[in-house]
Amino acid sequence: MRLAQLHRCIRPLSQGFCVLIGLVFAALPAIASADESNAVVSPRATVSLISDADAVAPGSRFRIGLRQKLAPHWHTYWKNPGDAGEPTRLVLTLPPGASAGPIEWPGPERIEVGGAVSFGYRDEITLPVTVNVPSDIRVGETFAVEAKAEWLVCAEQCVPESGIFRLRLPVEAVSKPAGSDTTAAFDAADLRRPQFSPWMAGLAVAGEGFSLILSGPGLSPETAQDAAFFPDDWGPVDYAKPARFTARVGEIALALARGPTFDASQRVPGVLAITDSGGATRWYTIAPRISMPPAPSPATAVPLWQALAFAFLGGLILNLMPCVFPILAMKATAVARLSGGELREVRLSALLYIFGILTAFTALAAVLLTLRAGGSAVGWGFQFQSPVFIAAMSWLLLLVGLNLSGVFEVRTSGLGTWSGGRGRAGSFLTGLLAVVVATPCTAPFMGVAIGAALVLPPILCVALFLAMGGGLALPYAALAVFPGLSRRLPRPGPWMLRLRQIMALPMYASVAWLLWVLARQTGEGGLIAGLAGTAAIGVAAWLFGLAQRGPWRRPWTYGGSVALALASVVLLLSLKPVDAPVRGIAASEHSEPYSERRLDNLRAEGRPVFVNMTADWCLSCLVNERIALSTDAVQAALKDRGVVYLKGDWTRADPEITRYLRAFGRDGVPFYALYPAGSGAPLVLPPVLTETAMLDAIAAIPRSN
Amino acid sequence: MPFCAISRRQTLILGGVSLIALGLPLPAFAAPQVGSSAPEFAVVDTQGTLRKLSDLRGKVVVLEWTNADCPFTIKHYKSANMQKLQKQATAEGVVWLSVISSAPGEQGYVNAAEANRLTASRDAAPTAVLLDPEGKLGRLYGAVTTPHMFVIDAKGVLRYMGGIDSIASTNVNDVDKAKPLFRDAMQAVVTGQTVANPVTRPYGCSVKYAT
Repeated sequence: MRLAQLHRCIRPLSQGFCVLIGLVFAALPAIASADESNAVVSPRATVSLISDADAVAPGSRFRIGLRQKLAPHWHTYWKNPGDAGEPTRLVLTLPPGASAGPIEWPGPERIEVGGAVSFGYRDEITLPVTVNVPSDIRVGETFAVEAKAEWLVCAEQCVPESGIFRLRLPVEAVSKPAGSDTTAAFDAADLRRPQFSPWMAGLAVAGEGFSLILSGPGLSPETAQDAAFFPDDWGPVDYAKPARFTARVGEIALALARGPTFDASQRVPGVLAITDSGGATRWYTIAPRISMPPAPSPATAVPLWQALAFAFLGGLILNLMPCVFPILAMKATAVARLSGGELREVRLSALLYIFGILTAFTALAAVLLTLRAGGSAVGWGFQFQSPVFIAAMSWLLLLVGLNLSGVFEVRTSGLGTWSGGRGRAGSFLTGLLAVVVATPCTAPFMGVAIGAALVLPPILCVALFLAMGGGLALPYAALAVFPGLSRRLPRPGPWMLRLRQIMALPMYASVAWLLWVLARQTGEGGLIAGLAGTAAIGVAAWLFGLAQRGPWRRPWTYGGSVALALASVVLLLSLKPVDAPVRGIAASEHSEPYSERRLDNLRAEGRPVFVNMTADWCLSCLVNERIALSTDAVQAALKDRGVVYLKGDWTRADPEITRYLRAFGRDGVPFYALYPAGSGAPLVLPPVLTETAMLDAIAAIPRSN
Repeated sequence: MPFCAISRRQTLILGGVSLIALGLPLPAFAAPQVGSSAPEFAVVDTQGTLRKLSDLRGKVVVLEWTNADCPFTIKHYKSANMQKLQKQATAEGVVWLSVISSAPGEQGYVNAAEANRLTASRDAAPTAVLLDPEGKLGRLYGAVTTPHMFVIDAKGVLRYMGGIDSIASTNVNDVDKAKPLFRDAMQAVVTGQTVANPVTRPYGCSVKYAT
């Protein structure tokens, strides 16, 4: 007869008999197998130390657990005991070199005694602790565990109890699982183990209380009939006041009373127990706070109007993205020039600019559709993976900068006119260029729109791209609709020249950045080609400028500049992406390179993983890394929770990463996903990260050891 | 769908929440607030003297919830920690009122004679012991545990409420290791300084109120 059954059957009998049985077990250690220690028995509780292994292997991990079998009405406590009581304490003595984690507290229940609310356990509970066996321990030795435990066991009254428990486990070449009785005890504890919450947790202050709000798919009055919240710490919640629970499809809320130290600006970490209509309870760790940024879950199908709205919004936001900054600079100069001009001219120019943007987006959509039809794994910002494109862009921007600096002027129609945004063709081409440069920065909402576009019928796809273009064009379009706005622009004057020269600076900065990206993509050879091209373009621009100014107006100056420009084009053809030498991300102190296999393996082991998909040409990725990912606090938090940091580099096309992104309905970087320990679904983090958001997300992961 | 739906709803919720949070002053917490006037009470002590808070203006008042059979209370009496604090307090002119809120039939319930005997046998030195078998005083102050400590300054303002120290255990050996949160608070109030930790976690057995 198993001990648990025995315990149940003797419950109705006198407590004295229970003690007697316990004493018999305590007095006969020979009966107990290696996986269960001596027991400390009182009329209130029978406590022993158990192991999930009958034999342990060097370098392996196993679990021990303090097993508490409680008499009816008696309870022991969770890590936060609630209004009264005291959590069980455990001090372990292990062989040299061995280490143990903290108690992995199973989810508690709410126990109300005489108006006070306690958090704890009834009937039977096992408090597991993970133990690491040193690799230098020899087979044939004994792995001895001594646990000094103190626990408070309470009904209406409380009795402090304590005991010293010993387990002697043989060290064998291969670990041996424990018998079914102790395994069942660990299984029961694991069923209560708090899981990482797959939902978004927020906090709302209302009246004298506050509400925990969980939202996301899978929540409904059926899946969540009742809930109880167990805060990690004393202070923010008044436990004794009744909580009010409400559920509807996609959202549940638990209204709680504020405790004496409630602070609306702080998060309230804890465990939420959700009971479904079948009566089964599951526990989830949450760390809600008011300012928690929205953490989107993977996108699937989006209603068309929403996709269009988000595409439009995404386009609008593009105006603010760093990638568009040089274009904004050009627009500013263009507007400055136009302020003295005819209203009709302003309106026409704005319309042409919009037309340029829409043309570019239509072209992008067409390219995307063509490639999609070709089955190519293609992603947003894909053109930045081509070194030829990068080099050409850097030279183009260099020309723009030199033009703004006054090295040469563009007076004829044709390629150059757009650079200053002068003239009708110029407005149109500025619009085109804005789109080309803007694409690598995936604004928060745009990823979804593009994801949707890739699975939508072609016509809708084009509509989406046009909506995005409309958003990008909106600020300038305002000029066309309200020509009065341009009258408020400053009068032309000498300041325009200075402004124009200053505007050259972001161009040069962009050139430097693009050359750096080029170096990452193509290695030293590519960088030399890029720099040679830069020099040739510089001389070409200078010659062109000379030719424009009086005495040097000779055919050879024009010819020379054209020849140099052509030479750079030839250089372009020599650019080829290299593979190994500058593999963007080597295993560093904090992260290791992403691969599908590595992720699968880690997930199979149940380890928590943080995936960061990035690219050198993605400025927002670099900014996120700087301010939110590589900070000491975040690195320490990741380490503390045992999170493995996988970093994928999409600087060059990488089909594995493209596949991964597509699985989330995304086609751009940055992309961040945090996988909890165990087999839970990943939490997709927003593309604009803050250190606080990262820490919040990490804090919500249960500790893994 | 989830992305968009959640983002929008969350934005609305968060927006609404921030409006509420910014627009409304925090309503009074039901339990007494540190920094506000301590709730007035008038209770006859075990010697038959009426103890009225408003009569004690000009003196620092300590309220100690106690239950002689609670292991947490026992820890502080067995280690003589509580008696020492009581003597130190009364020597400095503090009025120390031990309160027993256990209901008849519950753990820790005593009548006046038993309470006085208990005080003598424990060598305790409170100014007086208040019996609160109906739990009125306990609920008025939101006393949750035994021990649960309150310090009221000479102006009648509540300055401290919470635990006696920082280690929530029944182990006598922890008394010296713990940060004496209550003692520090009392000393700060007596010397007119600001209490560093005015609200701390009370720990102990639940108060055995009448149900």
